[in-house]
Amino acid sequence: MKRLAVLTAAAAFAALLIGALLDLPAATLDLRPLLAEAMPVSGVAHPVTAVLLNTRGYDTLLEIAVLLVALLGVVVASARADVTGDPGRTLAPPVATSADPMVSALARLVTPLAVIFAIYVLWAGAHRPGGAFQAAAILAAALVLLHFARIVPACAAPSRGLRIAAVAGFAIFLAIAALPLAGGALLQYPPAAAGLLILAIESGLTVSLALVLAGLFLLLADDPGGRR
Amino acid sequence: MTERFVMLAPLALPLLILLPLAWAALAFVLGAGRGSRLAIAAAAVQLVLAFALAAAVMDGGPLHHAAGGWGAPLGIDLVADGLAAAMLLLTQAVALPLFIFARGYFHQDGAHPDAAGHHFWPLAGFLVAGMNALYLSEDIFNLYVTLELVGLAAVGLVASGGGAAQTAAALRYLFAALLGSGAYLLGVALLYGAFGSVSMVTLTPLIASASASAGAEAAEVALIAALLMVAGLLMKSALFPFHFWLPPAHGGAPAPVSALLSALVVKASIYLVLRLWLGPLAPLLTPLAWLPTLLGAAAILWGSWQAIHAERLKLLVAYSTVAQLGYLFLALPLVGVGSTGASASAIVTLQALAHGLAKAAMFAAAGIIIHATGRDRVDDVAGIAERLPLTLFTFALAGVSLMGLPPSGGFLAKWLLIDLAMARGHWPLAAVILAGGLLAAIYIFRVLRLAFLNLPEAMIEAEHHKARVVPRSAEWMAFALAAASVLLGLFGGLPLLQLVDGVGAGTP
Repeated sequence: MKRLAVLTAAAAFAALLIGALLDLPAATLDLRPLLAEAMPVSGVAHPVTAVLLNTRGYDTLLEIAVLLVALLGVVVASARADVTGDPGRTLAPPVATSADPMVSALARLVTPLAVIFAIYVLWAGAHRPGGAFQAAAILAAALVLLHFARIVPACAAPSRGLRIAAVAGFAIFLAIAALPLAGGALLQYPPAAAGLLILAIESGLTVSLALVLAGLFLLLADDPGGRR
Repeated sequence: MTERFVMLAPLALPLLILLPLAWAALAFVLGAGRGSRLAIAAAAVQLVLAFALAAAVMDGGPLHHAAGGWGAPLGIDLVADGLAAAMLLLTQAVALPLFIFARGYFHQDGAHPDAAGHHFWPLAGFLVAGMNALYLSEDIFNLYVTLELVGLAAVGLVASGGGAAQTAAALRYLFAALLGSGAYLLGVALLYGAFGSVSMVTLTPLIASASASAGAEAAEVALIAALLMVAGLLMKSALFPFHFWLPPAHGGAPAPVSALLSALVVKASIYLVLRLWLGPLAPLLTPLAWLPTLLGAAAILWGSWQAIHAERLKLLVAYSTVAQLGYLFLALPLVGVGSTGASASAIVTLQALAHGLAKAAMFAAAGIIIHATGRDRVDDVAGIAERLPLTLFTFALAGVSLMGLPPSGGFLAKWLLIDLAMARGHWPLAAVILAGGLLAAIYIFRVLRLAFLNLPEAMIEAEHHKARVVPRSAEWMAFALAAASVLLGLFGGLPLLQLVDGVGAGTP
């Protein structure tokens, strides 16, 4: 009965939403001409990258902070009461000592390709779809695959080195955001250096976000012997 | 001195966001339980920046900062007006004493921090950064990002308590927060689809003209969007009946976390409701102003009733938050200027500040009492007056502000609110405010009466024996917060009202 009421309400809401959207007139304001005007000084040739890292770069800065908080949340959740060792330790690969040979072979084959492809996607972001988020997702997938092949262990909490690497991209971004404050606004790149600065931010983010994304998985994967 | 202050002010907008982000990241790198000194030092700098900003806004009106140098609608603008400056001041003014309190609370045994405090510092840093960014943002999509930053950091802080109950409370909080911000984001997407902008300044005239032309498709979409955004934010604000997640989350977390959440975090989404309701969404939502007010009145009565019957001390304080948040919604139909000249939003801000300072003090005091007795039951407060006189005084002083007794900030806010309600002929609102004060007195005196009970000598000896001591600095910080809440009524109230209403802005 309760489920039926919820379903009816959800369906009614969806119908209302679809009805409103179907005959939605064109948006009153079109930002595309404005963005096109800004493209020459944005430092990149692809409009999506220009929006993400230049005109609305401040949003992206805060989004990276959100991802770091998500990682912290997983660290908190995976820190179990029965773990008393020092927080930086890593656990041995659980249970089986050797992985499925197929998975191992695949991981060894795919990982170098994934690294090359990630670098290409990062570089391509300046003029076509791509960029740090996509490159980081590819690297993170490679890390998870390496974990399944028992090459990368899961860990209870990230060691200091891992923490530094996970924060480095955010720190570079933050520093580049703060530097223009001396003479202008937050994240106001000098047009001549914009391309280089965006590449520096994206390169840092690729490494750090890959670790954060993989960390979201690998920290929760730490479950030796199914103790939970 | 003052001139240097004002020169600092335009930089305060970005710095109040970048500084906490930087120390939060650094605290994360430093590792479990570390970074407390860094946080306290940075919070002190932030407090100075917030004061400079408030002084500059008071003198010269709102300050703007265009992130990236683009300006709206292409870029994102940061704006500090009186309301934002007041909320920034509250955030830093509560954060600094609470951080000093937390350092004492988590590090009682010297070098080894309490496990519950392992991840407190980075999460608290991101939380403060998120709130500061939220108060300064003028862009409804950027506001969504800040909401997520605040929400996720708060959930992490609740979960850091450790036990199964805390994890369950954190998960429930996470679901409520995600549902709330999801609804908000859907509203933002609809508004962007209809109008092509996410800047409040750009949207305000567009929405006004769309709703003025009857039958416009865009107006229909905008109304759905407005309802979604406000409903999502009310969920995050724990307005009755959306308060279900608040008591377990705030009542179960470690004391410094409860204090941060109850004093500051819920205010952030309420601020956003107020900002949108009185700003771009005003033409759509004004006819509905009585709905949140009715819910607010229900929250005052229901929250107080639950607080009177709560068995656990921190749950009592948490339900008191449910009740006190209700006051913030009473003023929506009263928009305009009352007989005293203060606007409804200025009075709401004063109530938010008074409650924020008092509730931080009360949760901190409750934490000290629970540490000393070892149990979180209201009945175990018996006899505490003799063992923790300063902390009990703190609890009582915070209670004075919550009850609305003169000369506290709570008194000034509630008195102005009654005055405004009477000037408009809304006497039932005045009655609810008075009833709320009376009910608050019942649950505060319930604790105080027990605290002054005389226990038999032998029992006192036994209690003394097992008492765990919270550092003196922590006790004094809780006291400072309570004292600030009372002094707000004596000295801070009028300047604050002027700051929010922009009286005196533009005059040299």
